[in-house]
Amino acid sequence: MKEAEKIIQVKNLYKIYKVGHTKVYALNGVDFSLNKGEFCAIVGPSGSGKSTLLNMLAGLEKPTKGQIVIAGTHIEKMTERQLVTFRREHVGFIFQSYNLIQTMNAVENVALPLTFRGVDKKTREEKAKKYLKLVGLEKQMKHMANEMSGGQQQRVGIARALAVDPQIIFADEPTGNLDSRTTMDVLKLMKQIVREEQQTLIMVTHDNHLASFADKQIHIVDGKITRIDEQTQQRAIGEYGE
Amino acid sequence: MKILDLLTMSVNNLRRRKLRTLLTVLGVVIGTASIVVMVSLGIGLKEMQMELVSSYGSMTAIDVYCDVYSQQNSSEEPNYMKDETVEMIRRMPHVKSVTPLLSSYVIMMQGKYMANVSLVGVTREYLEGIPLGQGDLPPRGSQEMFMVAGNWVPQNFQNPKENNYYMMMNGENPNVDMMEKPVFVIFDTDAYYQSQNPSEDSSVKPPKKYLIPVAAMVDGGENNEWNEYCYNVYTDIDQLKAFLKRTFKKDPIPGQPTTKKGKPYNYFIYDNVKVFVDETDNVKQIQQAITDMGFQASSNTDWMEQTKQQSNMIQMVLGGIGAVSLFVAAIGIANTMMMSIYERTKEIGVMKVLGCDMGDIRNMFLVESGFIGLMGGTAGLILSFIISILINRFAGISQMMTGMEGDISRIPFWLAAASLGFAVAVGMAAGFFPALRAMRLSPLAAIRNE
Repeated sequence: MKEAEKIIQVKNLYKIYKVGHTKVYALNGVDFSLNKGEFCAIVGPSGSGKSTLLNMLAGLEKPTKGQIVIAGTHIEKMTERQLVTFRREHVGFIFQSYNLIQTMNAVENVALPLTFRGVDKKTREEKAKKYLKLVGLEKQMKHMANEMSGGQQQRVGIARALAVDPQIIFADEPTGNLDSRTTMDVLKLMKQIVREEQQTLIMVTHDNHLASFADKQIHIVDGKITRIDEQTQQRAIGEYGE
Repeated sequence: MKILDLLTMSVNNLRRRKLRTLLTVLGVVIGTASIVVMVSLGIGLKEMQMELVSSYGSMTAIDVYCDVYSQQNSSEEPNYMKDETVEMIRRMPHVKSVTPLLSSYVIMMQGKYMANVSLVGVTREYLEGIPLGQGDLPPRGSQEMFMVAGNWVPQNFQNPKENNYYMMMNGENPNVDMMEKPVFVIFDTDAYYQSQNPSEDSSVKPPKKYLIPVAAMVDGGENNEWNEYCYNVYTDIDQLKAFLKRTFKKDPIPGQPTTKKGKPYNYFIYDNVKVFVDETDNVKQIQQAITDMGFQASSNTDWMEQTKQQSNMIQMVLGGIGAVSLFVAAIGIANTMMMSIYERTKEIGVMKVLGCDMGDIRNMFLVESGFIGLMGGTAGLILSFIISILINRFAGISQMMTGMEGDISRIPFWLAAASLGFAVAVGMAAGFFPALRAMRLSPLAAIRNE
């Protein structure tokens, strides 16, 4: 069997905040790696450092110590400008509170990251429409953000993350603001698309049950990885609420 | 990011908050209008003063006088201005033309009226520079002597046998027409008066009268206004010299200095020479050169310079007053932009997470504030043109303030263009620090869940 391509490698990662004279270890020596095309969940209670880890992987925060290699590039030493470029070219992002631009309709929101790349209007709108169809929003293309339900908004968010053909998609509690039925829909959609598009997805959640749908679960408590579960067999979606 | 996308996003952001944008723009409108109107008043005042100065004579002319009494070196011949002097000045760089003014005081007569007039001999070039109201100069090279009379000369004629004082009080003008009726000129005025009042040795013959045609009158405008030519009668200098030589022969010509022995010089001496320089900027230099030759030189430049300095100061004060309100408007812009950034912290963060270049974020805000400046500047300019027209419509104001006629508020093209550019620049400068702040906002703010 061929060795799978390592898309993310994290070595000995530390993040230390100083509060007054005491040092707070948000991350206390984290090591793991992730293959291309994997769906990974980072699970932990609040304050465990899981969001900090995600922020650092996405280049939003700088680590105090350690290495992060994404697609062969070290990102821990990049300047802010380089990080912005890195995110624009390689990363998709799904937020908990969707974070759509309120004054734009669905198509414009999905096309926004492509605007930042300097893609011309025709191309980016075609692409945006394609991904909106993929997430099942053919009828809501011209709707403004506040004219859509939470589930619909998050679908727009997923389409926006996919539209840039990223190497990795980060999702920060993507279902945190949704009810349980919509949560399952969105989760199902994400898993299905990741499989179809051969994308790598990293999802942060505090819900062990949601995490159990991922290929790999990284459990993190007090800034340290306590356990990494890898699932070989697929769990059918729809068992929520067993 | 493409420039068009950047512009669209910025304009959309402004449209999102119409009322706030409108209020901020209103501040810039008032600021721009007050600067433009104030400066336009300054420019109007300055130009009117310049017009006044130049109405007193050409800006490029230098008057040269020879004050013999101030020349202390009495043992030598006084430093007179003669033809050689005129030639020397003519050869200086930047000098366009030079004319000596050879004045002789003559008596002119028409019918029962007579007047004491100064007849000034000048070059043909100078004659051609005099604005003429009636008549024309005879062609060049014509040998016959002619005169060009100032527009106030006819009023000088009086009837010596009547009570002139009474006539003047009644505002009556002597019935003199210099162009249509013949004018007689007496050069030897002394002889004339002696023959009029015969004394014990009444052997003096009345001097000869010459009939010299008046070819033209100086233009006095509609109201017969004052000008620098209005008092005198002008004629060609060479013909005047010939006339004087013929009249006085070996005797000293009145008005011309004599040697210490009381003998006349065998050349003409001028007490006034006019020099015309090619450009206003060169006047000072030539004036200095002539002063160095030992003559007194004066020009409108000195006066103009003073006026210019004064008007510049007035303009600066007026512009400063206007600038204060634009400065207040700039603070308004900065405030609006800061508010906008606080409101959009999350949005800016999201953009940064999604990979919007930091420079693009900064530019987005700069374009927004620049656009406020542009809109305010344009509207302010339109407002200033309206105010300017209104001010000029009430012409009484300008006449009351300056005693001069003409538009007091003038907006030249450069002022319009500069104020528009300035408004945009002020807008962008006011938006600069807010824009930097937006650029440096942490992307973490976006994913922080409230």
